[in-house]
Amino acid sequence: MARVRMRPLARRERCDPPVLQQDQTEERLRPLMLRSLEGDSGAHRQLLGTLGSYLRGYFARRIGATAAEVEDLVQETLLAVHLKRDTYDRSLPFTPWAYALARYKLIDHFRRRSRSMQVPLEDAGALFAADDAEEGALRTDLDRLLQRLPDRQRSLIEDVKLQGLSVEEAARKRGVTAVSARVMLHRSLKWLNQALRDENG
Amino acid sequence: MRTADLIELLAHDVQATPPGGVSRKLAAALAAGALVTLAIVALWLRCQPLLAVAQQPWFWTKIIYTGLLTVAGAVLVRRLAVPAAKTGAAPAAAALVVLAMLALAAVEIFTAAPGERLALWLGHSWKICSPLILLLAIPIYAFLVAALRRLAPTRPARAGAAAGFAAGALAATLYGLHCPEQGAAFVVTWYTLGIAAATAFGAITGARLLRW
Repeated sequence: MARVRMRPLARRERCDPPVLQQDQTEERLRPLMLRSLEGDSGAHRQLLGTLGSYLRGYFARRIGATAAEVEDLVQETLLAVHLKRDTYDRSLPFTPWAYALARYKLIDHFRRRSRSMQVPLEDAGALFAADDAEEGALRTDLDRLLQRLPDRQRSLIEDVKLQGLSVEEAARKRGVTAVSARVMLHRSLKWLNQALRDENG
Repeated sequence: MRTADLIELLAHDVQATPPGGVSRKLAAALAAGALVTLAIVALWLRCQPLLAVAQQPWFWTKIIYTGLLTVAGAVLVRRLAVPAAKTGAAPAAAALVVLAMLALAAVEIFTAAPGERLALWLGHSWKICSPLILLLAIPIYAFLVAALRRLAPTRPARAGAAAGFAAGALAATLYGLHCPEQGAAFVVTWYTLGIAAATAFGAITGARLLRW
């Protein structure tokens, strides 16, 4: 069992750039989340894009910037944010919710690697200290995982992802109703989330 | 797949999400588990003559005691089911309920004749009461865990303990429909022990089961 020496919190904090913008982050992200929950896919895209950059920075500071798992963990966390977004209470601030979820994914990541690593509970600012838009290398390719899906589901995803069709257009092309196409897409994403966890576990 | 592509894909899976989904899922799980446990109580253990015992204050004392603990447990599960949750006042409220019952039990024991005290405390069924409550809690706990796995508990052991506690308290309430014991000292000891066992069971298994 590999053990990682715990660094004292004080040193770790010095690794994080100072938080000046956290209130602004909250003011920027919470409206996006609220609109996303109302079904606004543009807001959802923008929210996940911004979160992705922060998650990349946060995980890189916690695992190590060169670690190959950072981008995988970013994708896994974004999938979780997407699939679990109904657990966000609209009356509460958004950044602590996102931070708690990211921290859980980090703990889960360490646990799956049987490392005894303490992840201190910090202020949500730890996640939003610095962003990094530069995507890193992946260890697990989601496209490869998608090959395991049944044909119908896989071709729906390919239509949407590669050809940029809307779900409705893809449904028409494949001769299914828009409702069942949406259900299929959602199920595929849930399956993908599980497959990614198993793969990285 | 690049992360940007993944986000693009996820943006296609956006639909309006009505609020209140978390509470609905958990309430449905509690109800489903309660039905299974109620069926076990009614068909296997058999209920007391409910019309007759419903006239008795001791029956309601038991129901209110375990019922209040069930409410505290349900509130706690609801809170721990989502990220960044505060535990809130539910644990303190549950502790107060137990303290009040302990006070009632103390009055009962000290006003009884010294020779009757042990019999009052052990009743007729002290050996089976706690294990039965733990057993009856399992269906409810299983439904709660299934619901929690679809939510986002970020502290699995605590969420598991809360689910075990809620399941234990609800199981104890339903067990009260069968159990003819009348003493407050009996209830506060053996019922509470069964609920505590369910809580421990939830903490241990939840740490493994509630991962997502």
